[in-house]
Amino acid sequence: MIQLQGLTKVFPNGKGIFDITFTVEKGEVFGFLGPNGAGKSTTIRHLMGFMKPTKGTASINNFNCWNEASSVQKHIGYLPGEISFLEGMTGFEFLNLLAGMRGMKNFKYRDELIERLQFDVHTPIRKMSKGMKQKVGIVAAFMHDPEVIILDEPTSGLDPLMQQTFIEIVLEEKKKGKTFFMSSHSFPEIERTCDRAAIIKDGRIIAVKNIHELQSMQRKLFDVVLTSESEVQDLLQSPLDIISHNGNRVRIAVQGNYDTFIRELAKYNVQSMDVHVQSLEDIFMNYYDRRGDER
Amino acid sequence: MNFALYKQMLKVHGKTILSYSIGSAFYLLLIVGIYPSIADSQAMEKLLKQMPEQWLKAFGLNTGMGNLTEFVAGEYYSLLFILILSIYCIMTANQLMARLIDRGSIAYLLATPNSRQKIAFTQALVLLTGIVTIVFITTIAGIAGAEWLVSDYSLDRSLFIQMNLVGLLLFFSISGYSFFFSAIVNDEKQALSLSAGVTFLFYCFDLVGKLAEKVEWLRNISLFATFQPAEIAQGNADLLPVCILLFALGMISYIMAILIFSKRDLAI
Repeated sequence: MIQLQGLTKVFPNGKGIFDITFTVEKGEVFGFLGPNGAGKSTTIRHLMGFMKPTKGTASINNFNCWNEASSVQKHIGYLPGEISFLEGMTGFEFLNLLAGMRGMKNFKYRDELIERLQFDVHTPIRKMSKGMKQKVGIVAAFMHDPEVIILDEPTSGLDPLMQQTFIEIVLEEKKKGKTFFMSSHSFPEIERTCDRAAIIKDGRIIAVKNIHELQSMQRKLFDVVLTSESEVQDLLQSPLDIISHNGNRVRIAVQGNYDTFIRELAKYNVQSMDVHVQSLEDIFMNYYDRRGDER
Repeated sequence: MNFALYKQMLKVHGKTILSYSIGSAFYLLLIVGIYPSIADSQAMEKLLKQMPEQWLKAFGLNTGMGNLTEFVAGEYYSLLFILILSIYCIMTANQLMARLIDRGSIAYLLATPNSRQKIAFTQALVLLTGIVTIVFITTIAGIAGAEWLVSDYSLDRSLFIQMNLVGLLLFFSISGYSFFFSAIVNDEKQALSLSAGVTFLFYCFDLVGKLAEKVEWLRNISLFATFQPAEIAQGNADLLPVCILLFALGMISYIMAILIFSKRDLAI
């Protein structure tokens, strides 16, 4: 459905995206993971026909994204990463404008989405909060029932409850056979919806993997508080990967070996335990490091 | 063109267009309204005779106050008309493209199955609709005002309409390069300073060229030299070449703007 073949874009400062190749099948939810500035948005701009590749091609539904942009756009819904709407109109007028430009006839799904996301669509756009604008953006991306939906950092700005609603909408659409391409800098965001994901770093793809593989590769940090320092000293002898310890508090890295982790900890008096929130680079640290060494 | 976009854009910019039109029409009516008191006063004529020739020429007063058409040409069309429409062209051209590109909101429009050419063309049409509306309402106001406010003096309708037509074409080409800058630049402020800068420079060249005989050649490179309302009012201007030039310049600017816009990279 979506095909990137050696897609390369070099900017005057030497940065850009290099030789990006992967395919997204019909009905698949594909995640595009990378830290900020890695080239996610640049890749999406090529899919949307906003940029001309230096080399290689991007195509959706067998239409070239640059040469046949308007044919491509018939079949896609798009949620930009930065939400900036046209000024001087209400959310409703804005959605009507896009519907008009698409020649849309059926407004049932649009009304349904507005209902579900629970927001007042008649508010002038300049008075909307970030989350509210995000909702308008989501309606704009889904309302015309497109075959392919491209989302750039979709849940940023949504509160956790709305993120849940959003994930439900994505999963429903997936059931209808829609294809998704969504970028994110946070693994948990992708984890819940995607079948496969590509990881991009400094403009290059470093992995395209099934989401279960990625889950087993991810490295989680746990902050565990024990009762005494002597227990901490004992724990240091265990096979667990202990990053640091300070008083009764121990930080343990776990990657796949959850069972060992639980069994070891069961020997001690655990007072509290937290999952340490990490950046993408930290989650896939050994991945990023190993690839970095090769180059 | 895309009708849905055109309609919505007119709705957004309609207020601006209407207020410029009303402002322009009222000022013209004011000028028409004060004409009788000036026409009958000998003092004014005397005062003008004492002024240096170059100075009068620069401000379009060299034709004197002979009749209402000349008076309107000198008092309204050689300065305020130009000012009002320049500001409209520069500001609106900027808002129709550069602002949307700078803020990224054009992404929503481009994500619909309409080609970039179509979208840019529609935006250009919105800009032009505004110019035509402002000039049209001004023309109507002038004719109606002369008819009802100062029925003792007559406005030469044919010359007055010619004046407005050339003015319309002048702003067709000024809006053309404003739109061009607006469509090819990424930064809203840069686009604004380019089109405002070029327009200001043109105006200065024209003014300085009129004031100082030595640098009269400067007028040859100013777009404003093509629009001489005072001479049109006297009926001794050869308008056809000027009209063709202005029309061609405008067309080229718009076509280039649309073509470059449809081929460029957009970081949105």
